[in-house]
Amino acid sequence: MSIILISSDHYETGRSVAQQVAEATGYALLDRKILGEVASASQIPEPKILKSLEPSSATIGFSAKVRNRALASIQGAVMARLLDDKVVCYGLAAHLYVLGVSHALKIRILCNEEKRVSLMATERKVGIEKARKLLKKQEAAQKRWSLDVFGRDETNPSLYDMVISLSQIEPDEAAKVIVETVSYRKFQSMTYSIKCLRDRELSIRVKLALMEKYNDVDVTADGATVVVRTKSLKREKRKKAESIRALAGQIPGVSYVEVHTVKDIFRQAAESA
Amino acid sequence: MAIITISRGSYSKGKEVAEKIASHLGYQCISRDVLLDASERFHIPEMKLVRAIHDAPSILDRFSHSQQAFIAYIRYALVQHVKEDNVVYHGLAGHLLLKGIPNVLKVRVIADLADRVRAEMKREKISEKAARSLLLKDDEERRKWTQALYGVDSRDSSLYDLVVHVHKLTVDDAVEIISDAVQRTPFKTTKQVRQKMEDYGLACQLKAGLAHSFDNVGVKSEYGNVLVYARGNEHYVQRVRKKAREVTGKMSGVNELEVHAVQKLPLDVV
Repeated sequence: MSIILISSDHYETGRSVAQQVAEATGYALLDRKILGEVASASQIPEPKILKSLEPSSATIGFSAKVRNRALASIQGAVMARLLDDKVVCYGLAAHLYVLGVSHALKIRILCNEEKRVSLMATERKVGIEKARKLLKKQEAAQKRWSLDVFGRDETNPSLYDMVISLSQIEPDEAAKVIVETVSYRKFQSMTYSIKCLRDRELSIRVKLALMEKYNDVDVTADGATVVVRTKSLKREKRKKAESIRALAGQIPGVSYVEVHTVKDIFRQAAESA
Repeated sequence: MAIITISRGSYSKGKEVAEKIASHLGYQCISRDVLLDASERFHIPEMKLVRAIHDAPSILDRFSHSQQAFIAYIRYALVQHVKEDNVVYHGLAGHLLLKGIPNVLKVRVIADLADRVRAEMKREKISEKAARSLLLKDDEERRKWTQALYGVDSRDSSLYDLVVHVHKLTVDDAVEIISDAVQRTPFKTTKQVRQKMEDYGLACQLKAGLAHSFDNVGVKSEYGNVLVYARGNEHYVQRVRKKAREVTGKMSGVNELEVHAVQKLPLDVV
């Protein structure tokens, strides 16, 4: 079967479309309700987990280390659920990190701008022009957040298979278009696309385990082989590689660990100064 | 019964999508025809019209209003075509030129830069570097054009009802998705929509008649009552009034003509 990843510029509107798609297809809806579970598994308070998905956390609030761990925990939970197949995922930024999985249909829903302005005006109790400015500011912050955290601009349409604007199209019509599109054969899961998803799930699990000790690791997986890239000083290179191998080797599903280290020039410069 | 505009970059497969939709739905497929009609009717070389609608305005163009006039001619020619209904237009700027017509399904077809580069290399027999550079230059020109004339970014997805990424989705999938979307309620041609199209056609016709002599004018029509807004001194407004009377005298379907002097042109005018 397939998975549907939906993103939107307005949370409630996107969620309503995701809900309709889930109902029409009989797929499970995976949304921010899982953040409670993520919080208890990662031992990071739920408000902080939620904050990591919002633009403000890119500049103020909690440390980058906690934010990265919170985001990795969300990714781990999302990937594990996506492996179950037949899932509509919304509000968990999955469109930014579920990459190269051919049975994932990626959709962006754009809410009518005037509607968003009017909602913002009511919510913030400000005039229409002020609300318009606030909305522009919020959009810019959201774009910065996706670039800062995942290195991808979530407003770029080439990140998606389709972008649907709700200026003329009603949400239920948009849901019908998505349901129709996901029925195409190319969105059916195949052995290879499931393997790609499994590899990503394993790499995030390994990364999460390593993050408790090392924050600067990049992990990729291919079957049961895991490649970890990290920075290190020359004198601690061997010790760090052994420690990573030991930690990663304990993760279920890992049979071989390869560690690639590059010289940590900043630490080296700081120590020699 | 609807109108589809397909916006596309070079080598994005938008042309192929447009032609297949037209054939699938039995619609008329138009692109360059609009420029040929405008060229014939207003006696302007086609090349000048192509430049007006493709190249970003230069500093000099911003001081002259010839580009605005050429766009008014192209819009008039385009509206004449789409008034027939059941049309797929895949020429430049359709989504902006037909802004005043409600049942238009505005689509953008995009493709990955790497795929576009490969297609251009194959067709033009040029190097990868040259192909990439040409495509990026073309995209930038489009962006500047829409920014200068309409104050919007052509890459902004909210300008369209649908953006289809031809990569995982094939041309045939895009055809199926768009053909399905256009059958939905908002894009059906109702009696009210037909009236709006008539009014938009009148406004575009009068604007094309005025555009050669006046740049600070906006036109709209409501049930055949045509309103002209002119920004300028009393003498200027008098001249606009005289010319508007002359042009509408030769038009059919105009009930009343009013010319108003304004400080700022309303947003909903042509």
